[in-house]
Amino acid sequence: MGNVLVYVEASDGKVAPVTYELLGAARTLAAGLGGQVEALLAGGGELASELGGADTVIHVDHPSLSPYVPEAHVAVLAEAVRLRNPQVVLVGNTTIGIDLAAGAAAATGRPLVSYCVGLEVGEGAVVARSQLYGGKIIATTRTDSPAVFAVVGGSFPDGPGRSGGKGAQETMDPPSSLASLRSRFVGATAPGGEGVDITKAERLVSVGRGIGGPENIELAEELAKALGAEVGASRPVCDSGWLPKTRQVGKSGMSVKPKLYFAVGISGAPEHLEGMRDSELIVAVNSDANAPIFKVAHFGTTCDLFDLLPALTERLKARAG
Amino acid sequence: MHIAVVLKQVPDLVEELDIDSGGKDIDRSFVKMKINEFDDHALEQAVLLKESSGAKVTAVAVAADGIDQVLYAAKARGADRAVKVEAGDEFLDSRRAASAIAEAIKQLECDLVLTGVQAADDLFGQAAPFIAAALGWPHVSVVSGVEAGGSTVRVHQEYSGGRMATLEVDLPAVLGIQAAPQPPRYVPVTKLRQAMASGALETVSAAAGAAPVGATVSGLAKPESGRGAEMLAGSAAEVADKLAALLAERGLVRA
Amino acid sequence: MPAKTIALAILTAATLSWSGYRFYLLLRPVFHSPWENRFDQIPRRIWGLVTNIGLHARLLKIPYSGLLHLMIFSGFVILLTGIVQAFGEGFIPGFSLAPIGGHTWIALVQDLFDVIVMVGLAMAAFNRYVLRPDRFKGSNERDATIVLLLIFAVVFDMLMQNTFRVASGGDPSASWRPVSSALAALAGLFGLHGAAARPVAEFFYWTHVLAILAFLAYIPTSKHLHIFVGIPNVFFRDLSPKGVLPRADTSKPSIGLKDVEQLGWKQKLDLYACTECGRCQAVCPAHAAGQPLSPKLLIMDLRDALLDEEGIGGHVKHGNGHRELLGGSIQDATLWACTTCRACMEVCPLHIEHVPKIVDMRRQLVELGRMEPKLQDTLASLAQYGNSFNQSERMRARWTKDVGFTIKDARKEPVDVLWFVGDFASYDPRVQRHTQAVARVLHEARVDFGILYESERNSGNDVHRVGEEGLFEMLAQHNVDVLSKCTFKRIMTTDPHSLNALGQEYQSFGARYNVVHYTQLLLELLESGKLKLAGPIGKVATYHDPCYLGRYNNGFDAPREVMKKLMARVHEMGRCRENSFCCGAGGGRIWMDDKGIKERPSENRIKEAVALGDAKYFVVACPKDVVMYTAAVQALGMEDKIEVKDIIELVEMALDPLLVAVG
Repeated sequence: MGNVLVYVEASDGKVAPVTYELLGAARTLAAGLGGQVEALLAGGGELASELGGADTVIHVDHPSLSPYVPEAHVAVLAEAVRLRNPQVVLVGNTTIGIDLAAGAAAATGRPLVSYCVGLEVGEGAVVARSQLYGGKIIATTRTDSPAVFAVVGGSFPDGPGRSGGKGAQETMDPPSSLASLRSRFVGATAPGGEGVDITKAERLVSVGRGIGGPENIELAEELAKALGAEVGASRPVCDSGWLPKTRQVGKSGMSVKPKLYFAVGISGAPEHLEGMRDSELIVAVNSDANAPIFKVAHFGTTCDLFDLLPALTERLKARAG
Repeated sequence: MHIAVVLKQVPDLVEELDIDSGGKDIDRSFVKMKINEFDDHALEQAVLLKESSGAKVTAVAVAADGIDQVLYAAKARGADRAVKVEAGDEFLDSRRAASAIAEAIKQLECDLVLTGVQAADDLFGQAAPFIAAALGWPHVSVVSGVEAGGSTVRVHQEYSGGRMATLEVDLPAVLGIQAAPQPPRYVPVTKLRQAMASGALETVSAAAGAAPVGATVSGLAKPESGRGAEMLAGSAAEVADKLAALLAERGLVRA
Repeated sequence: MPAKTIALAILTAATLSWSGYRFYLLLRPVFHSPWENRFDQIPRRIWGLVTNIGLHARLLKIPYSGLLHLMIFSGFVILLTGIVQAFGEGFIPGFSLAPIGGHTWIALVQDLFDVIVMVGLAMAAFNRYVLRPDRFKGSNERDATIVLLLIFAVVFDMLMQNTFRVASGGDPSASWRPVSSALAALAGLFGLHGAAARPVAEFFYWTHVLAILAFLAYIPTSKHLHIFVGIPNVFFRDLSPKGVLPRADTSKPSIGLKDVEQLGWKQKLDLYACTECGRCQAVCPAHAAGQPLSPKLLIMDLRDALLDEEGIGGHVKHGNGHRELLGGSIQDATLWACTTCRACMEVCPLHIEHVPKIVDMRRQLVELGRMEPKLQDTLASLAQYGNSFNQSERMRARWTKDVGFTIKDARKEPVDVLWFVGDFASYDPRVQRHTQAVARVLHEARVDFGILYESERNSGNDVHRVGEEGLFEMLAQHNVDVLSKCTFKRIMTTDPHSLNALGQEYQSFGARYNVVHYTQLLLELLESGKLKLAGPIGKVATYHDPCYLGRYNNGFDAPREVMKKLMARVHEMGRCRENSFCCGAGGGRIWMDDKGIKERPSENRIKEAVALGDAKYFVVACPKDVVMYTAAVQALGMEDKIEVKDIIELVEMALDPLLVAVG
């Protein structure tokens, strides 16, 4: 068959950007495998028209599918895999994808390859490149049987996946298990907090563990002030309570796309890179020259941040007059 | 409620990682292992549930070099029992480990399984959904915050952008924990010593299932360093000058 | 038996029974306490009484207060004779001190000291009600007032009694009582002489006796307990080396102080000895920073907690019986605020031991996991990697790569000087350059030295003071084991905290080393001519004494001697040597955040240095000080006024003729 099935992730009533990235990757893979691109849309039928990158949009509708409950979506994805038997299943390695990919792989007995940042077809197999150990190691895998791939957001451009498919639409019956779910949606909360929305900031100074401790965050705040920027942070910094969760950039925090992203003491775990790699200009300060952050940064330095930050702040203040 | 909290060790990323001569695994002879930080949060969440609702907590881990220390630390943190699962292989991937863990959990008669949402070496998928699938229990991952409620638990799930949903899950269930409501508590060395002196760890045997065939590692590589970024060298003052000029050029200096 | 005797006997018996009972209640917990050996070195203990009680050595550090206390205190000693006389007369007809000079020199001394004490009291009242120094804030003012009034009553009534006895005529001591005689003459002008004065003298006899009895009855419910407890408290003071913090027995299921009753007997005596004078509060860096710690209030709160538990009130503020000690009587934030700088213990006139109590309570907090996340992270890092920087031990010696020569590995070959580098000097990028400078200078002076490379661990000095006893043991034992396999003559460290741990604390692990601070070694190298300076640097510098070098290890002189050779002029700050003001980093504070701090101690200190007017360099001899003060100067925006320099930077400058010329 050689088909590629993409699970469509929706957020806030829109198709999530990662889905277009997956559709784009799927088009290349399908071409290599001689198959078609199928998109699985669980709930949210109004989005079908926005999935022009798929040859077939498979729509499943059921009251349990929206709002999102992981158990229901796993059941639908597993059912679709069983019925359509694609060679490749692509799921975003997002907070939602973590729920789904392994569940569907387990339910269908297929292998799963996670943290994929590259996918191609080679000698009849799917060759995937995955980021392991916080990005310190890249693993290459070959998969020659039908399998599921969890793809890290930002690994592929989202342009090619917006169109180019046949755009046929089909509906699929919901699996019977949706009638007896053991988990239910209770409520949702929007990001709260102290009124700062870092996703709207044009300039961000983000701090990572390399800043040493909460007492040094002041250095970053001073720089942010001089730049007219907001202060963001990596997950470990927020988990340690040095800054509130609303400041967190990354997969489990906010995805940001500012004009300037100034990363201070951030080594660049994949989960972080995913949330900021599309920023227009990325400047990174980190003591480790091998840190993954330098792969996405436009300018980098291994200069000691405790010297550099005050020095830069001073110069910016001077320029601003 | 009887909570099983599933723990494992991962290479400490503070250290440099090297690739072994076979090229398909990291060089484990010099790697320092530490508890997976998400598992650490899962343990904290379990202990918080014990404190708030009197749950019983059993720490579970696949037997491996150094895992005893992790299990003793869990006991010192408040786990009532610590169980080592003899699965015959300490380098199982998460999926195969999950099948052994699920076997053990059946023997231990738990009704809630907490484990870290992911680990840095989960190439073939994360443990929580696989454990759930093996047990046939419902599962929610990326959980930050669990409240006990009789035959159900309420869990808070995080999505990108800071949105949160609250879900109610019937027990028994498996949860992949992203973060506990508070950072994992510190175990004083004396408490650890006492836990180690308090008796041997329990052991159960549980065979790991076979992994689905098809996906194999063909090689590991280190990412090329610094590709992409133009590196600025020099003293702090020199680099600051360059950066200030660069930002000004792009109109990013505050007017 | 005359009625007067019977009345006096009843009053005296009643008062003594009441006071005796109160003292019994107070002392009961002291006698039911864990044992502390404070019966060693008796001559030294007695000498301490002479200097501290007799000569008021510590009290006189604040001259006005010290003087007024000396006046009242010395008067009290002398006036004891008046008390003996009053009760002697009352009970034994014809009792008189005349055979030993009661009518001559004793009378004279009584008369003079009546006046001296009253002047002292007036000074005390002026101090307390007009000058109102901050250190009294939080003290019990009502108690202080009552005590002043009672002392006044005792002294005044005695003077009046003597005055009217002289006025009655026939007092054999009249010619030896100049003040009483003058006052009697004055009373005579109002017709109070002869027989008319006799009942007045009798009246004042009784008010004098009643004042004494009232005082006796009041003391055991008042801070003036120090009249009785002060002397034993000074006698039983801690004579162990200052840098040795008592260890906790980690084999016990629970360590640390969670109940005030667990305090040792001397620790409880401390609580009764406190006079609430607040000298500790005045020097406490945490208190100055606006944090919720006053060593004085801590002691008072512990005392109240003890009395509360004993159910004997008197001071009880909360009055509802048992409360949790930690989080109840003593807040967690209070305990975590302490930098263990020892300034409080150094100034306490009664040698109260604040720091060991704080650390013992911290131990319990650590056991309960009640600490802030950053400290928790740091302890986890220390347990995992042996350093506070969350970095691999393999990175510990990375700074050696850029020094331009190979530093000996003391694990592999014998060295003269084994340099124990320490965490901040090894890992902190702001300090590494100074560490490299030390290496270059030692190399240039041809010192045979080596380091432990990745085998070194944090010395544990601050871990011990944070209250993580088990981790301290683990770190110390590791270092002791590593050192036991090395051959060296002595150990050098730039870090005073490591100096303290290796030199003093490791003795309880059976390890005795000759440990020197780098300032000491530098002095030797300069004096022996192994380092030749191109000349002094033509600038004015001031020097900050690190707590663990100065107060704890008496290392006041070596850095000053080195400075004298390096600098054109050294301008001392007011708070120097024993009175140095902590940078705020000690006792594990450097691993905690600044929440609740109104003014960082380090910034307070920089302002003091800048206020000297001419000091261009703020010279430090501790890696943590480099970090703390560099940040403080930046935060204050005073980079153009003063520059923080590690002493080794100045040594390198002074070695280089070119740099000396530039200054």
